[in-house]
Amino acid sequence: MNKIAIGCGAVLAGLLLIAVIGGIALAGSYNRLVGLQQGVDSQWAQVQNVYQRRADLIPNLVSTVAGAANFEKSTLIAVTQARASVGQVKLDPSKAPTDAAQLEQFQAAQGRLSNALSRLLVVVERYPEIKANQNFLGLQAQLEGTENRISVERGKFNEIVQAYNTAVRRFPTNIFAGMFGFQPRPFFSAQPGAEKPPTVKFNFGTPAPSPAPTGSP
Amino acid sequence: MSPATLQSTRLPLRGSRAKQIALCIVALVVIRLDAAEVIPPKPAAYFNDYADVVSKKAAHRFNEQLAQFERETSNQIVVALWRTMPSQSSIEDFTQRTYQAWSVGQSGRNNGVLFFVFVNDHKMRIQPGYGLEGALPDVICDDIIRNRVSPLFRTGKFEEGLAAGINSIFQAIRGEYKGSGKTVKEQHTGGGSRLPLPFFLFAIFVFIIASRLVRRRGYYYSGAGGPFIGGWRGGSWSGGSSSGGGGFSGFSGGGGFSGGGGASGSW
Repeated sequence: MNKIAIGCGAVLAGLLLIAVIGGIALAGSYNRLVGLQQGVDSQWAQVQNVYQRRADLIPNLVSTVAGAANFEKSTLIAVTQARASVGQVKLDPSKAPTDAAQLEQFQAAQGRLSNALSRLLVVVERYPEIKANQNFLGLQAQLEGTENRISVERGKFNEIVQAYNTAVRRFPTNIFAGMFGFQPRPFFSAQPGAEKPPTVKFNFGTPAPSPAPTGSP
Repeated sequence: MSPATLQSTRLPLRGSRAKQIALCIVALVVIRLDAAEVIPPKPAAYFNDYADVVSKKAAHRFNEQLAQFERETSNQIVVALWRTMPSQSSIEDFTQRTYQAWSVGQSGRNNGVLFFVFVNDHKMRIQPGYGLEGALPDVICDDIIRNRVSPLFRTGKFEEGLAAGINSIFQAIRGEYKGSGKTVKEQHTGGGSRLPLPFFLFAIFVFIIASRLVRRRGYYYSGAGGPFIGGWRGGSWSGGSSSGGGGFSGFSGGGGFSGGGGASGSW
C-alpha cells in the first residue's frame, strides 16, 4: 500500500514538474508575442503620424499654390479630393489593422493622394513665380521630408510585422498563438510607381573633376 | 561549300558563344555587385573625406570641432564626402540605411545628424535623428543646403561650404541637449586611459629629475630608462593626447535612430 502511494506521489510530482516547466515556457512565449504585438501597434501609430503630417501640410500647400495667377484648377481639385478621401478611411491609430482589406483600402487612398501631390509638383514646374516663392519652397522641403519619413516608417512597420508574423507562425508557438488571439498581421505591399513619382534625370553637363576609377558604368 | 568553309563559319560562332558566356558571367557579377549593396562600415572619425577634396589640416579641424560639439551637447554630427554615391538607390534611402548602420546619436535621445556630400554627383543631404527633428526641421535643412552651402560649393569652395554647413547645424541644434563632457568613444575607453595633463607634466618632471640623478651618479640611464619610456608611452601617451588638441578624436555611434527627416539638395 505504502509503495503504491509513493509511486503515485512520484508520478504526480513528475507530472506537476512537467506542467510547471510547460507553463513557464508557455508564459515566456506568450509574453514574447505580447511584446512583439505591442511593437507592431506602436510602429503603426508612427506610420499614422507621418501620414497625418503629410495630410496637415496640404491645406497650406493648396492655398499657397492657388495664390498664383491662373493656376490649373483641376490639379488642385484632385489634391483636395484625394486629401478628403484619405480622411474617410478611418483606422484605429493605436492598433495596427488585422484585416488585410482594411490596410489595402488605407494604402490605396494614401496612394491616390501621393499621385495627386506628385502631379501637383510636376505642374508647379511650369510656374516660375511659385517656384521662387519662399513659402512654397519651405512647403516643398517639408513635403519631400515627409514623403521620405513615410517610406522609412512603412519600411520599419513591415520589418516589425514580419518579425511578429514569423513568431506567430513558428512551431510550437503557432499551436497556442491562435487560441490567444495572435493572428498574423497584414503589411504594406510595394506599390511600384504609386508611392514615388518616377524621377527622370538627364545628367549630361557635369564634368567630373577627376575620373573615378571605380565608377559604375 | 566544304568542311573548310563550315569550319571557318563555325569557329567565329564558337568565339562569339564564348564571348556571350563571358558577357553573361560579367553581367551576373555586375548584377550581383548591384544587388549586394554595400553600406559603408562605421567610420572612425566625425569628419570623413573619402573624396579627397579637403586638406588634411581642415579635415582635422572639422573633426575636432565635431568631437568637441559632442562633448558639450552630446549631439553627434557625422560628415562624410564621397565622389559618387556608393549605392544604386536614392540618396534618401542610402542615407537612412547608413544612419541605422552607424547608429549616430545617443540612444534614447536620438540626437544625431548625418551630413553627406557626393562631390561628382553634385548632391548632398542633411538628415537628423528623431530627437533633432524639432531643432533641425526639413525647412532648416533645406535652407542650409540651398542658401549657405550650395553657393560656396558652386564656386568650388568646399572647405568654406562645409564650414558654413557645419556651423549652421551647430547653431540650429546647440541648445537642444546638454553634454556630459565626453564623447561616446571616450566613455567607452574609460577614464583610466585618459590621464589628466598635470599627471602628464608631473611624469615628465620626474623623468628629468631621475635621469639627472642617474647621470650624476656616473652611469647612463639607457638600461634603466628604456623600459620606463616604453611603459610610459604605451600607457598614457595614446590616451591622453586627444585632450591636448593636437590629437585625433575618434567617433563611436551612440545608438540613435532616425525617421528619415531632413532635406536633400544639389548644387
